[in-house]
Amino acid sequence: MEERKSPVLSRRAFLQAMAATGVVVACGTTPSSQPSGSAKPATLSGTITVSYPDELGAKPKYVDKAATDLKAKYSGLDVKTDLQKISSGDYYTKLLLALSGGGDVPDVIHVGGDRIGELADAGYIEPLDKYVSQWEDWKNYPQAVKDGVSYQGKVWAIPYGLDMRWLYIRRDAMDKAGLGTDWTPKNVDDILNGAKAVKDKVTTVIPYALYAGTAGDTGTANHSFVPLVWAYGGEIIDKSSGKWIGDSPAIRKALDYYSRTYTGGLSPKEILTTTKPWTAMREKEGKGELALLFEGGWVYGGWQSAPFDKAATQKNVNYVLHPTSTGGPAFTIGGPGTVWYVTAKSKNKDAAWAFIAQWNNKDTVAKLNIEDPHPVARSDAADVAEFKAQQYLVDSTKALEKAKFIPTDSNYGKVIGAIQKATGRVAAGEMSADDAAKRYADDLKQAIGADKVITQ
Amino acid sequence: MGLTPAALLLSLFFVGPSLWALYTSLTNKALVGIDAARPRFVGLDNYQRLLSDPDFATVVLNSIVFVVGSAIVGQFILGLLLALLLDHAERRRYRLATIPYAAVLLAWVNPTVIAGFLWVAMYDFYYGSLNTGLTALGVGPVDWLGRFPMLAVIIANIWRGTAFTMLIFLGALKTIPSDIYEAARVDGANAWRRFWDHTLPSLRPIAALALLSITMSTFGTFILIQTLTNGGPGSATETIALYAFHEAFRSYAIGYGSTIAVVMLALNVAFAVLYLRWSRARA
Repeated sequence: MEERKSPVLSRRAFLQAMAATGVVVACGTTPSSQPSGSAKPATLSGTITVSYPDELGAKPKYVDKAATDLKAKYSGLDVKTDLQKISSGDYYTKLLLALSGGGDVPDVIHVGGDRIGELADAGYIEPLDKYVSQWEDWKNYPQAVKDGVSYQGKVWAIPYGLDMRWLYIRRDAMDKAGLGTDWTPKNVDDILNGAKAVKDKVTTVIPYALYAGTAGDTGTANHSFVPLVWAYGGEIIDKSSGKWIGDSPAIRKALDYYSRTYTGGLSPKEILTTTKPWTAMREKEGKGELALLFEGGWVYGGWQSAPFDKAATQKNVNYVLHPTSTGGPAFTIGGPGTVWYVTAKSKNKDAAWAFIAQWNNKDTVAKLNIEDPHPVARSDAADVAEFKAQQYLVDSTKALEKAKFIPTDSNYGKVIGAIQKATGRVAAGEMSADDAAKRYADDLKQAIGADKVITQ
Repeated sequence: MGLTPAALLLSLFFVGPSLWALYTSLTNKALVGIDAARPRFVGLDNYQRLLSDPDFATVVLNSIVFVVGSAIVGQFILGLLLALLLDHAERRRYRLATIPYAAVLLAWVNPTVIAGFLWVAMYDFYYGSLNTGLTALGVGPVDWLGRFPMLAVIIANIWRGTAFTMLIFLGALKTIPSDIYEAARVDGANAWRRFWDHTLPSLRPIAALALLSITMSTFGTFILIQTLTNGGPGSATETIALYAFHEAFRSYAIGYGSTIAVVMLALNVAFAVLYLRWSRARA
């Protein structure tokens, strides 16, 4: 690792650098002076590789279209797409190993925007300021969205569909539980009352799914622990000092909520051992076999087509914001969604950027976000008639006004690991909430350094 | 001179990576963040952390239970029994003996990840065949992996690995000449005496070898557990190998993960020395 940072160039590295420069000059591209996303395209050539994960199946056609369109624009440019049909978590680990190794890396990568800090600090990604400053379309992105992909004053990625989450409630299940079809929780603890009613009266329906442990992957943090800490009036990071909070009354209350959920048998323990538990839980919520689930807004899109029924989904699936402990203003969790990055090691960054600019056109952004429902990142795409016609998308976009954002901090990945341990311990019944909170503080100190952790 | 190729291969595939792990364990190298770009030398910090890590005691204990349960009790004893039965059947020329032989081998020739998924398909709470069967019989589904996580992974691993010990013992049994048994029989020794006096002593050196290799491979077992429970629920099936992986590739702490790997290597070397001494003493 140290060698790469070494200011002294070896003879071989120098020759390689010269050779690479020679190629670029021969192709007629001057990397910094001719931004490619602008109206007048520079000549681009060579080959770029676009690597992205996709399990749903919505993205590939848009990626392939952008690749084809870009190749049509620049005859000397070849765009290779590398679709990885694995979960985004597995993709991320695979990608990190490639980025940290010495070999070739893809030019364009597709990872969650909450990873910006840790990727930028590691030197894996390239700042895009010089490109966006000349990109006409950038003006269509609201400032809050731009802030969401900025870190230490630089723009690092281009988002297209923003993340938000809903608490999904099955109207049919709540009705059978005697609470009526319009039941919504008054405060965070009331979620468990609703779940209890389902458990007591509707034996065929799983009351609630609360992700915990490592099996829940990032969902354990983003869809469960973090919103609970917020619901109890706490924070996971102290915004003024940038230090992570290891132990606080809100963290203890959040873990106690886990304890009550799991000891009460309200959420199935299989979540702790099932591979990708969200797959089963999303399916069950869509089929009416699960009553309560806090999940991504995009999940709703999966319930629109077979084996689910669109009309039945609209009739039976209610969606509300996450309640707080006091019954105060409910909230959702916002995020930049999965975003496009140019890798720092890319040998053809101009072409990599050109792909990203090509892909993020108004039309693609609108269409993909209808198919895989997310609020759009560029506001002009929200004006597309088909987008406006979808009530669900209008609601999701409006919910973003109530969004709280997970801060872009480079330690978040490691913090998620500690969150998985803490929630897993409580859910499995290995520890009380208070003990697990103490251990969470210790784990955080071990993982990111004692000087970066405080207790409240 | 004749050993040169072996020495080269060993250093390429074993000594090199081990030294790298040893070096990395002395740094705070990470996969993400600033420690990925500029890892620092931290001396023995990671080892100190490991000693004070309350999870480490848990994962060591889990590993011991897993190794004793699935390797020593399960694979070793079951492998030996199967080998004895098959050898007996072959000496008597029972034709159907090839069927169990093939069945046991089939479990072994599968790639581990396939074996893992086969067991997921059995144990899975919602879609697993065990619960589908139970539900059909009118008995409620059982949360196999949640209620008996360690037993579940041990059974899967026994199923997966018994063929290896069986093959080794079968090979050893074939080297025992039939006339020894003939002579014993003429002397009036019953089956048990023949086994105790003749079969077992001939198997002793090979038993040490079999124990050594299955202990080590079981100690390092990781894909099977990862596929089945991913170490959960909580840390009920988190073994040392899995813990090293989770620290390195889920918490992105390569330095700390390497530290765990180095300790695991040291434990393996200790096992090896122990077994080899034991087999020499008995041989």
